[in-house]
Amino acid sequence: MSRFVFATAEYASGDWESAPALPANLIDSVARYTSIEVAPAGVSVRLDSDELFNYPFVWLTGHLPVRFTEAERRNLKRYVERGGFMMVDDHNHDITGVFHQTATEEIERLFGKLEQVPNDHEIYRCFFTFENGPPHTNHELNGWGDDLLHPHLYAIFVGPSTGDRRRDRIGLLYSNKDYSSEWNFHPETKRTMQQDPTKFGVNLIVYALTR
Amino acid sequence: MRSRAEVRESGVSGMGGGARLGARLRVAGEWALRALVLALLVWSLALALSWGGKGAVERASTETLSEALVRWTTVAGPERVHVAFDHAPSLVERDWLAALVGAGTQVSWSGPSLLPTALSIEPRADPAGGAEVSVAAPAGAVVVLRDTVGELDSARVEAASGVRAYIPRPKVTLDAAVGGVVARAALADSLKLGRLLVLGAAGWETKFVIAALEERGWRVDAEVRVSPQTTVRQGSVTAIDTSRYSAVLVLDTTAAAHADRIARYVRSGGGLVLWSPAVDAPRLAALAPGRRRGEVMEDDGRPPSDSAPREALSIAPITGLVPDAVVLERRGEHVTLAARRLGAGRVVETGYVNTWRWRMAGGEDAPEQHRTWLAGLVSSVAYAGRVGLAVPPTNPAPLATLIDRLGPAVVAEEVEAGGGLDRAVLARWLFASLCLALLAEWASRRTRGAR
Repeated sequence: MSRFVFATAEYASGDWESAPALPANLIDSVARYTSIEVAPAGVSVRLDSDELFNYPFVWLTGHLPVRFTEAERRNLKRYVERGGFMMVDDHNHDITGVFHQTATEEIERLFGKLEQVPNDHEIYRCFFTFENGPPHTNHELNGWGDDLLHPHLYAIFVGPSTGDRRRDRIGLLYSNKDYSSEWNFHPETKRTMQQDPTKFGVNLIVYALTR
Repeated sequence: MRSRAEVRESGVSGMGGGARLGARLRVAGEWALRALVLALLVWSLALALSWGGKGAVERASTETLSEALVRWTTVAGPERVHVAFDHAPSLVERDWLAALVGAGTQVSWSGPSLLPTALSIEPRADPAGGAEVSVAAPAGAVVVLRDTVGELDSARVEAASGVRAYIPRPKVTLDAAVGGVVARAALADSLKLGRLLVLGAAGWETKFVIAALEERGWRVDAEVRVSPQTTVRQGSVTAIDTSRYSAVLVLDTTAAAHADRIARYVRSGGGLVLWSPAVDAPRLAALAPGRRRGEVMEDDGRPPSDSAPREALSIAPITGLVPDAVVLERRGEHVTLAARRLGAGRVVETGYVNTWRWRMAGGEDAPEQHRTWLAGLVSSVAYAGRVGLAVPPTNPAPLATLIDRLGPAVVAEEVEAGGGLDRAVLARWLFASLCLALLAEWASRRTRGAR
């Protein structure tokens, strides 16, 4: 059976590689807390390549303006519609920032309006439980960026709307919370932390693998 | 004046020895002819008595049969009839002929061009609906499927296995025409589908199997193992029985804890789809068509093509086949799909271990192809309650029912010979023989001067 491989999306504009330590920390957490078979190292994959479809979980982040190429748009739409899960995180944690404004514009151009994810959604309970929705980051709590505590994540919901199922599967999850900074620490640092901040990252991966 | 006796005696007595012998033989021949005439008369009498005054074999063809049936029933009342078919008769004609048999008429038929054909149509255990069609016909025959709207498809029978087809939206009845034989079948029941239960570890295969089946319309319960202490559940997994589940899908050994319940479920009629890695658990292997799993042959990363998508997938070949296993698909020498019956249920095992790549990385139609393929696996084993439907008259095996009702076909020429000599011809021959024998006897007597 295929192992889980953490993939980071490369896109033509912006700084896609802005959180280089994040994959290793999430891989470590997945291996630590779950029995999911996980590849020990992540990969980066071009958003406009066929290779993208070999990695149904992709992380996309950056600080700079995002302008997808036509090939990237085409691939991203097909990727989500086929069942891939893309996490888009605003590394600026700034709703007036260029990443947020351009990335959400690109996403909504492809999929329509981003919808607020209710804080009792399964993604907050599928492995670890987060009663109040998405956990806040140190950057939010310290008042950096837009100086806001973002209480919700936003998503593009996909999936069938017939039978028992509503159109309730998250195909693309968008965050202003800057998990890219929160989880982009040196791996050794985790040993000194009282609480592991990457637990919500485990939920993201478990959700992607089970829904 | 001499008497006639005197003339006869003087004629004989006046001859030499050779002439006398010839005359005696001639007289003996005349007696033989008289005896022949007498025998023919007796035979004629016997035939006349046995025929009871009725006529010869009445004949009809496919085109004239409907008129002939009316005549035979209302006017002629023949004792023997023969029908030469170039098309299979309609249900009415067939039953009418059978009624004639019941009324005492000897009915024979011939139809060398009629090919044995049988048609079966079964609802598919699939929320998308549709029906599986099987047609049995001789190899090389062309089968044309059609319904009340028109022609659906045609295929040549390549082997003794006949033709199989899937019809997404079947009408009430379906016809399969093979030459002059048209078999008709109807969907006799509809299916009441239960839910599916998917058991496996968290992984792309598990995720995309669940997604594909839900998109197909199945209601899916699932237990997805994330860690030894954590299982992500979907739906309410309670009793594993046929009242709730149409099929159970087991992707790996995480379902071993349920093996006994699954075994009971299958033996009571349930369906089981096993991914070959599951047979690493001995209690699951006991249910499988293959008892062992071969080494995983990883794919080379090529995107699956639309024409042969499964060629690009990783496989864990199915090995250690049990004696009652049936191989459904191979890749080269490796078995990739196999099935078996277990009690009242069925089990199918797949060696394809990462079909999710087909859906994600395949061509334009890949998601639909993947859904259809998975749904086919499930429907091949699924348990489904049946609800009977009122159906119109059908004739799924016209030639077989014709033989059942009228007996086997005869060769047309046999009707003329043997037990079937045409009475008119026989009467003419009898009359001619009698006339010839009488004429010969009379001529013999007159030419020797006797009266």
